[in-house]
Amino acid sequence: MSYINKQPKFKLDYIVMFLLFFTIFSGASQNSNKDLSINIVTSFDGESIEKDKWYVTKNNDSIQITKLRFYLTNFVIQTEDKKNDSIFNSNYLIDAFNKETLKIILSNTNYNKEDKLLLSIGVNEHLNTSGANSGDLDPSKGMFWSWQSGYINFKMEGKSPSCKTRKNKFQFHIGGYQKPFESIRVLTFKLSAIKNNELTININIAHFFDALQLSSQNQIMIPGKEANDAADRLPQLFSIDE
Amino acid sequence: MAIKHKDLFFDYPEYWPKPNYDFSKLSMSENEFQLGRQLFYDPILSRDNTISCASCHLQATGFTHVDHDLSHGIDGRIGTRNSMTIMNLAWNTSFMWDGGVNHLELQALAPISSENEMDETLANVVDKLNESKKYKSLFFQVHQDSLVTGQKTFLALTQFVVMLNSYNSKYDKYIRKEAGGDFTEQEKNGLSIFRENCASCHKEPLFTINEFKNNGLKVDTTLNDYGRMLITQNSKDSLKFKVPTLRNIQFTAPYMHDGRFETLQEVLDHYTADVQESKTLATELKKTIQLSHIEKVDLLVFLRTLTDKEFLFDKRFSFPNNNL
Repeated sequence: MSYINKQPKFKLDYIVMFLLFFTIFSGASQNSNKDLSINIVTSFDGESIEKDKWYVTKNNDSIQITKLRFYLTNFVIQTEDKKNDSIFNSNYLIDAFNKETLKIILSNTNYNKEDKLLLSIGVNEHLNTSGANSGDLDPSKGMFWSWQSGYINFKMEGKSPSCKTRKNKFQFHIGGYQKPFESIRVLTFKLSAIKNNELTININIAHFFDALQLSSQNQIMIPGKEANDAADRLPQLFSIDE
Repeated sequence: MAIKHKDLFFDYPEYWPKPNYDFSKLSMSENEFQLGRQLFYDPILSRDNTISCASCHLQATGFTHVDHDLSHGIDGRIGTRNSMTIMNLAWNTSFMWDGGVNHLELQALAPISSENEMDETLANVVDKLNESKKYKSLFFQVHQDSLVTGQKTFLALTQFVVMLNSYNSKYDKYIRKEAGGDFTEQEKNGLSIFRENCASCHKEPLFTINEFKNNGLKVDTTLNDYGRMLITQNSKDSLKFKVPTLRNIQFTAPYMHDGRFETLQEVLDHYTADVQESKTLATELKKTIQLSHIEKVDLLVFLRTLTDKEFLFDKRFSFPNNNL
């Protein structure tokens, strides 16, 4: 009987990681890289997001927001000649009710005011299909669907008397990575707004409800067309202080 | 940085295809295997600490839930499907009857969070493990860090289940021309009947093609389970379910996604006399399979050669002796 002893190839991975590590450090010694701080400010038309606070949408639905969590991932510095510098492992879970998550520090970043910052709302296909991940992507964060694998890119829950649902709840779990319903969306910002190595990204939740009548649409829980359409609205929520 | 323990070898017959699973996140260490084994057999994974993976996946029956058509979990609640077997998972390309889970490392999230199974959140499981001296120490042995995370919990479970490989049945020995692999005329005849009528979906050596098929079962109107379509939302996938492996089938009763057949005889009767025509019926079943009574008996005799007692009774896979 002849079996092949199969052993996973670890060595190569580690060499690659080591080289990457080395490159980052040698890069740091040559360029004057800086930390880029990103402040995330969530609001509802300028009002801060607080539990138990009431807001009124454009369509006159009164709402409370009880949960607001979403992924911002794959930060890229793009130079004027369209050269992309991806920031390794830049995947962040933002929770509007957890202050610690509202400041992202991209350390040792090489950028100029003429550059652009690219980032994604949601998690890319590769990370959706590569098994159990760590850090903010850990499946214990409650942002991974169990019966149908995939990250929830954007999760908002709350209450409204307009919702004829159990406890008047609305729940929007927007995700899905498979074509044609990929719900990840890319944002592009000019870095000219940076002051003291700080950039503020504003997220106005009110815009999510601008084209939404909560009495008729108050629940998205699976990938599909509805999630995809809702994802199309997400970039409109984001802006930077110019 | 170095891998300190690489004492596990993932063996399989050289004529098998390459595994689909990417092993790179596993330590392939005995410590991680034993940690995964502890977790697999520990009801700590469930909300009220009553249900473990082994509650529905018993080793002696190919790691499935014998004698239950629909598997039951916490508070005696009953699910909607028959639990699947656990073996040769590294070759699977998707998990669950509907393929909803895309990766072995994330499979356990489904039963842990299903309200009919363990009804727990992974975050709570991680909290419970972080409060356990035993587990802190076991995780430390694997990662040189005692902090338990969701990822590390799943990797340990994966390290255990990915080693549950079955390739030493009488059939395997027959293929390899080894001692104990002498087929009787009846078994040989059964194998050729199998190859002619069943192997296009239950392809050797894994006895599955990892695809989803509508095998012509009548819709059970108490469940109205449309299978794969619930995942893809594509009507072309209506009534399609994962083609399961047939290894150790002698002990994995009941059969089908809803466990409707208690015996293999009933399964053969279905395929030869009761296949329901529909838009999504597998093309392989469009022409009725015709088997005489004697041919059915020979086929059943062959299916018993897929039993791998070395696997079913391997002490390394059984309930761990807890001296920890």
